[in-house]
Amino acid sequence: MSDTSSHPLHLFRINAGSCNGCDVELTVTEAVERFDVATLGCHYADTPEQAQIFLITGPLTTRLRQEVLALYAAAPAPKVTVAVGACGASCGVFRDSYAVSGPLEKEITVDLNIPGCPPRPQALLDGIAAAVRLYRQRRGETLPPLASASDVAVPERLRGAPRFAAAACVGCRVCAHVCAGGAIRFDDKEEGVALTLWENSCTFCGLCAHYCPSGALTLSNDWRRTHPQSQSYQQTVHGEVPQSPCSDCDASFTAAPPELLRRALGGTAAPIEPLRQLCPDCRRRHNLTFATRGVKR
Amino acid sequence: MSTTITLGPQQLGLEEPMYFRVEVDGEQVTNLDVIAGHAHRGMEHLVMKRNLYQNITLLERLCSLCSNSHPSTFCVAVEEIAGIVIPERAEYLRCIADEIKRISSHLFNCAVLGHIVGETALFRWVMELREIMQECKETIYGNRMDLAANCIGGVRYDLDAEYTDYLWQQLERMKAPLEALYQRYAEEGPLRQRTEGVGILTPEAARHYAVVGPVARASGIAGDVRRSAPYAAYDRLNLEVPLRQEGDVRARALVRLTEAQQSVGLIQQALKNLPAGPLCATRLPEIPAGEAISKSEAPRGELIYYLQTDGTEMPLRLKWRVPSYMNWEALKPMLIGGPVADIPLIVNSIDPCISCTDR
Repeated sequence: MSDTSSHPLHLFRINAGSCNGCDVELTVTEAVERFDVATLGCHYADTPEQAQIFLITGPLTTRLRQEVLALYAAAPAPKVTVAVGACGASCGVFRDSYAVSGPLEKEITVDLNIPGCPPRPQALLDGIAAAVRLYRQRRGETLPPLASASDVAVPERLRGAPRFAAAACVGCRVCAHVCAGGAIRFDDKEEGVALTLWENSCTFCGLCAHYCPSGALTLSNDWRRTHPQSQSYQQTVHGEVPQSPCSDCDASFTAAPPELLRRALGGTAAPIEPLRQLCPDCRRRHNLTFATRGVKR
Repeated sequence: MSTTITLGPQQLGLEEPMYFRVEVDGEQVTNLDVIAGHAHRGMEHLVMKRNLYQNITLLERLCSLCSNSHPSTFCVAVEEIAGIVIPERAEYLRCIADEIKRISSHLFNCAVLGHIVGETALFRWVMELREIMQECKETIYGNRMDLAANCIGGVRYDLDAEYTDYLWQQLERMKAPLEALYQRYAEEGPLRQRTEGVGILTPEAARHYAVVGPVARASGIAGDVRRSAPYAAYDRLNLEVPLRQEGDVRARALVRLTEAQQSVGLIQQALKNLPAGPLCATRLPEIPAGEAISKSEAPRGELIYYLQTDGTEMPLRLKWRVPSYMNWEALKPMLIGGPVADIPLIVNSIDPCISCTDR
């Protein structure tokens, strides 16, 4: 993935009030050999004037706003701006604070997002490689080959892109309740309830998956999430929780997914399986009839 | 004649936006002020707009270098208010997560020290060593900085035989390099020359400024919350608190490197004695009205949480005292009278955490 065909590009980092997670990981990309930005033909610059690519972390605190804008303005065009981490894209967990002036795109033109909280060094390199291509493209230069990070196995437990299995969802909304970034929204529709998860607000903390009672929301270990800022709001996970007609009265309802029954009751026995097909009202009526069989009135 | 200069992250080689107003006379520092607030994100306001569950994730991002200390200390406060006793296995797993973070944090600080004194090869070597811990975190917890290990009532990760064995092997890989690193920081000529007798904080001054953590322990003050007020499983783990008397940059580095070695031992003790059982005592418990103070030994020292609840899921009040707040005032006696050129080295030696302190 080396690019020695043309002159090296310089990167400049700006900490816009981050928790330091992204910054510490960016340090890794100048200190650790296998993650070194030099493998992409890049170097870190000491001053913004030397830089062509800006890597900005943090939610843009009000206190740092002026300074960040001044540093950014010091670099001549063309330049490529990368919002690193969830904060750069959406202020992440720090949104809605009096002390935060972000997201960054309100103030400057952001070209790329590298999601993650913080992104792993492989993801940072992936994003920086995309920034290099974008810069060269703008200058009409030869594009370096698409970078491909090493094929070392991705840890099974890596917390990456969320996945939603709508058929397993019970619509309890605990995921939205525990989400610190406010990334999850439920919409009530006539056909049922729909979940939307905005990845640009997601910190991949996995609390939603932890509390999900039926395993409908999970995190995959897919970490390649760099995308153009223009697509930031299209990076969503969406699903509509299906409804089915009640086997008795025909009303639409959300049937308890098998996974929930397995977790809650250890599975169901065949005789009560038909109950799943009944809406709550009919099920109650059925159960009452069943319970009062033989009782004289 | 004295002049006033402002130093920021660019001049100091810091990862974080920490600024100083320094009065200098020639090459000598005569006074200084920390200009705080650049990483202020309004955390005290934010935590009150989030429920107790959302705060687990929010607080993990109060600072990424001590990111496990925050949610775990917060959860202890919630658990105390609700009278939740966490399972023994969870207590051990909380210690393991804390100690892994401590090793990474201390090594990062020692790496930056190498960078500041111009020993780039050393900087890179320590960062490479730290990668072993970073890989552990990603493999076991799913992220290299924010572990997502805690929940109210316990933990939300487990170590089966395979992961236990993996972690044990990784810790074994740390032992020899950590010992070599300690020797190098202790004895190597140029490094020793650059750090010995620099930025001295006497035991009296340390007491006066009430410093905490490795900064205190390098100035002869033996405070460590893991010993003085044990939480999680620390009362069942054998821990020696390293203590040095010199109070200089070198002593602080050596205390951290000793602690990193001890953390390796602590994790191995915890793995050996890891009891079987559940990971979490409860799922979505009701939290009654109440208040609690909880404490822990974060990598930078004593971390205090105060939580007040009113029976709803939104905290009524959440306040902190973070270790760097106590330690950065003590930069005055360390820096005043010394050369301007030593400022980056001495500032790094207290391992300041701006995101914790500015919040």
